Amino acid sequence: MFSLDKTLTVIKRELRDKLLSKSFVIMTLLLPIFMFGILGFQTFLLTQESDEGTTIELVSENEDVLYNIQKVFQERTFIQNEYYKVNYSQKDREQLQNFLEEKRTDLLSDKLTAIIFVPQTALNNKDVEYYSKNPNNRTVFDKLRDMINNALVETYFEDKNFSQEEIQFAGMRVGFNTFRISADKDAEEEGVGNLIASFLFTFLLYFSLIFLGTMMMRAVIEEKTSKIVEVLLSSCSSKDLMTGKILGTGITGVMQMFIWLLPVIMLITTSVFTLPADFNLKLDMGMIFYFLINYFIGLMTFLGLFASVGAIFDNDQDAQSGIWPIMMLIMIPFFIAITSQNNPDSALIKISSFVPFSSIIVMPARMTLVEVPLWELLAAVVINIATFFGIFMLAGKIYRVGILRTGKKPTWAEVVKWFKYQY
Amino acid sequence: MNALEVKNLTKTFDKIIAVDNASFEVPEGSIFGLIGRNGAGKTTTIRMMMNIYIPDSGEVLLRGNKVDHQFKDKVGYLPEERGLYKKSKVMDILLYFAELKGKKGKDIHKKAEEYLERFELLDRKTAKIEDLSKGNQQKVQFISTILHDPEFIILDEPFSGLDPINTNLLKEIILDLKKQGKVIIFSTHLMDFAERMCDHIAMIDHGKVILKGRLSDIKAKYSQENISLNYEGDISFLNSHPLVDKVEDFGNTTGIRIKDASKTQELLKLLVDNKVKVKRFDANDITLHEIFISLAGKVEGEQLTAGVANV
Repeated sequence: MFSLDKTLTVIKRELRDKLLSKSFVIMTLLLPIFMFGILGFQTFLLTQESDEGTTIELVSENEDVLYNIQKVFQERTFIQNEYYKVNYSQKDREQLQNFLEEKRTDLLSDKLTAIIFVPQTALNNKDVEYYSKNPNNRTVFDKLRDMINNALVETYFEDKNFSQEEIQFAGMRVGFNTFRISADKDAEEEGVGNLIASFLFTFLLYFSLIFLGTMMMRAVIEEKTSKIVEVLLSSCSSKDLMTGKILGTGITGVMQMFIWLLPVIMLITTSVFTLPADFNLKLDMGMIFYFLINYFIGLMTFLGLFASVGAIFDNDQDAQSGIWPIMMLIMIPFFIAITSQNNPDSALIKISSFVPFSSIIVMPARMTLVEVPLWELLAAVVINIATFFGIFMLAGKIYRVGILRTGKKPTWAEVVKWFKYQY
Repeated sequence: MNALEVKNLTKTFDKIIAVDNASFEVPEGSIFGLIGRNGAGKTTTIRMMMNIYIPDSGEVLLRGNKVDHQFKDKVGYLPEERGLYKKSKVMDILLYFAELKGKKGKDIHKKAEEYLERFELLDRKTAKIEDLSKGNQQKVQFISTILHDPEFIILDEPFSGLDPINTNLLKEIILDLKKQGKVIIFSTHLMDFAERMCDHIAMIDHGKVILKGRLSDIKAKYSQENISLNYEGDISFLNSHPLVDKVEDFGNTTGIRIKDASKTQELLKLLVDNKVKVKRFDANDITLHEIFISLAGKVEGEQLTAGVANV
């Protein structure tokens, strides 16, 4: 019953309808703007730490500590230019209590941001006290923590006859410089580039599977309710129709994805753009190719599912209620893929990168973060192709029965019966 | 010669028998009517004829061979509820439907323009379907049904929802197509309409074919033993009279079926003798509607003749 000519005719129409449509162009351009907009907005919010004018009373019990703090602080530009205003004083704990009482109104009215008390014991345990209306001000902690630490370290080692370098070393933090070990290359220094790329891949997959899937479902419902499908089926079989629609939308989706990935591809293959070393991308064209193939297979699998949901129901509202199982198949892997950024080698990530459906979203994220052996990638492709054919057959059965049915919303039990129908 | 032969078709959905061992023949060059109530099984039968549904048993023969998917290229189908892609342009949709039937290229483009011109739509060929009036959308649908020059035209309740202009237009097209020797198959519940347009019919009720053949033969057979009567008075005595087989109320007229076709004069005498005032006594006429009711019975509240005004 399968006719290549008719399937091609349907594919051509789908492509003309989708690829050349205004909404495709708008969507393709808008999504990156939207994504970068969100990223930019977040970055903007982070840089807008409105901590200008922070006023701090720094109280130390120990005179040497106070002196060193003052010395360290005065070296910093944000203190020098009075971005932070700091008053220094020496008080013991009893005096501090009075001081707190005295300054209470200032603290409450935000005239004074905080009182930081460095007790004598800080030289043993490095614990300082922070009194404020808002005791969870990470911005202030992050800014002052290292400075106070340095002052304490300096005071501690002052009379112990260490050189300035030794004291400086003691005050330093440990920094992790990360390297990626892979089979065929020497250890390479790793930036956050791949972390961002894996997020980008995960988000793009999640977004476009849902977007194109819902679009497919709507199109099937439209054909069904407008009875176009009756005319179409008097010309071609339901298999021709479904195959054509899925392939047409699948090709559209891959084209769209390719356009979205163009900047990444240019980054890899040319030196037109360069990224700062911290954002260095460890991707190659093989990965991009795998990503697109994986997306094409995955997209067609989900389109089959969305098409059959569209065929089951008569209208969008009913279909929304029938779509949640498919949404789960996209959302759960999405969240797993996001957590892979913490530890891409965890058992959960490894297993779910082979499980049907979730493999489509998790494997690209995993592949971006760690070296995945070629056989595992191939195995995932084989699993995904097998899943696609399985779904395609099941969806075909639901589709051919569903599109000619109208009236009462069918129950799931009825839908299961459709598999046995001879149409 | 039969163009199509439907042989013992049966189709069941979930234990409900939609079509039950249906057989009928559609002769070459005929206008064929598949007649029955809504839900009688007409659409299911048509879908099996077009190979959309696979029958549980039975077969459809196209000039002696079993129909396959190639038959779809030879059919033009106008479904009862019509629909087109709202966002598509008139010409695009015509060419798409033709291409699905295996026809494409310059010729079909030219032909589409000819049809659009004939239907006074040529200036709207790049308009979107949603921007056309309902009547114009119907015209586009007709064109898409016949653009690929089908040998068989299947029309499901073709006149329902048509405005008078399009009704006449469609009738013209149908007669035109008949002249060209095409086979036209109607599915309809409008008996009056079928009576005027069709030369062969099959009557279907509860999935079963209850009557079939050449319309003139059928009418000749039934009219001889059926008297159509308009009267004043009481005719209840006829119910048990040995001459009479059945008395039926058709609404406007009363139908009396007699056991022996040669005894019509005796029936007339009987009525006069019993002081029934006879206003019309017609022994040579029976409508398809009356035949249908006498065979299938009347369903409470159903108006089989409703909505035929424009035909």
